[in-house]
Amino acid sequence: MKEEILIKTTKEYYDSGNDEFEKKRYNSSVVLYFKALIAISDYIIYKKTGETPSSHTNRFRTTEKEFPEIYNLIDKDFQFYQDSYSQVMSKELAEVIKQDVQTLAKKTQIKI
Amino acid sequence: MYKLWQKKLKLKFSNNVFDIVQFGSSTLDDSNPSDIDIAVIYQKIPLKTQLNESQLIKKQLKLLTNLDIHIKSYDLYTLLDPSNFAKQGILFNGISLLDKKPLANKFELYPFLYIEYDLSNLLKKDKVRFHYMLKGKGKFKGLLQKNKGELVKPGLIKINPQNKLVFEKSISLFNINFKMKTIFES
Repeated sequence: MKEEILIKTTKEYYDSGNDEFEKKRYNSSVVLYFKALIAISDYIIYKKTGETPSSHTNRFRTTEKEFPEIYNLIDKDFQFYQDSYSQVMSKELAEVIKQDVQTLAKKTQIKI
Repeated sequence: MYKLWQKKLKLKFSNNVFDIVQFGSSTLDDSNPSDIDIAVIYQKIPLKTQLNESQLIKKQLKLLTNLDIHIKSYDLYTLLDPSNFAKQGILFNGISLLDKKPLANKFELYPFLYIEYDLSNLLKKDKVRFHYMLKGKGKFKGLLQKNKGELVKPGLIKINPQNKLVFEKSISLFNINFKMKTIFES
């Protein structure tokens, strides 16, 4: 059940990210793509541990220890999620995070 | 140890890197930083390449400190972009981990902090104490000598940006009006 929810939220965030991207609202699309990335990483963590992280701190700690490749992705992109409130996000950045979602989705065989 | 430029660094990075700069509160003397801000400045290369290389640099820096490393990637265009609110801090306080010098020096600019203060409300004995604090007395070295600062004229001193907190804390003890101005000299 939880797996299905995480897959559903991944798709929803990714699709919404695409909608915002089309409208050239790159700040919103960065936030939504990042949320999609987090939903996939939670899916991976859940599949292995049976639990989902309760906070970003927890999520970073678990991925750094258990899934370094995922940690590297979310750690790289997290700063933009934080900055998106006060800084202008570029199209190029939105594309980079979109690609990260696609990469991770492919790895986990989630169809987005 | 959070002043990374004071360490012997053997960082591996590509030719795309223009500079690696520590900035923010961790560059200030007397600060108690909870994290270290790093800006990696690249030549004009794709953002994706910048971000991936920054992660590799971050990994290396993390081995040198227990503090969290916050790494930002820029090229010279995005560094100076109006939407980059961090640029002033990077240019003014940033210290190159490669040259061990302020980043501004690369542009032949020399950052200083001018502190203008007004002692008119102080009692004479406190004015004297204030001057001892700045200029020292006998064997006791004053803040200016200790920190390579300079008395420009009465009521105005010039210091290195790194010493901001040291002077701010000491001057605040006297309950006087003072203001700070950031200046680049060429």
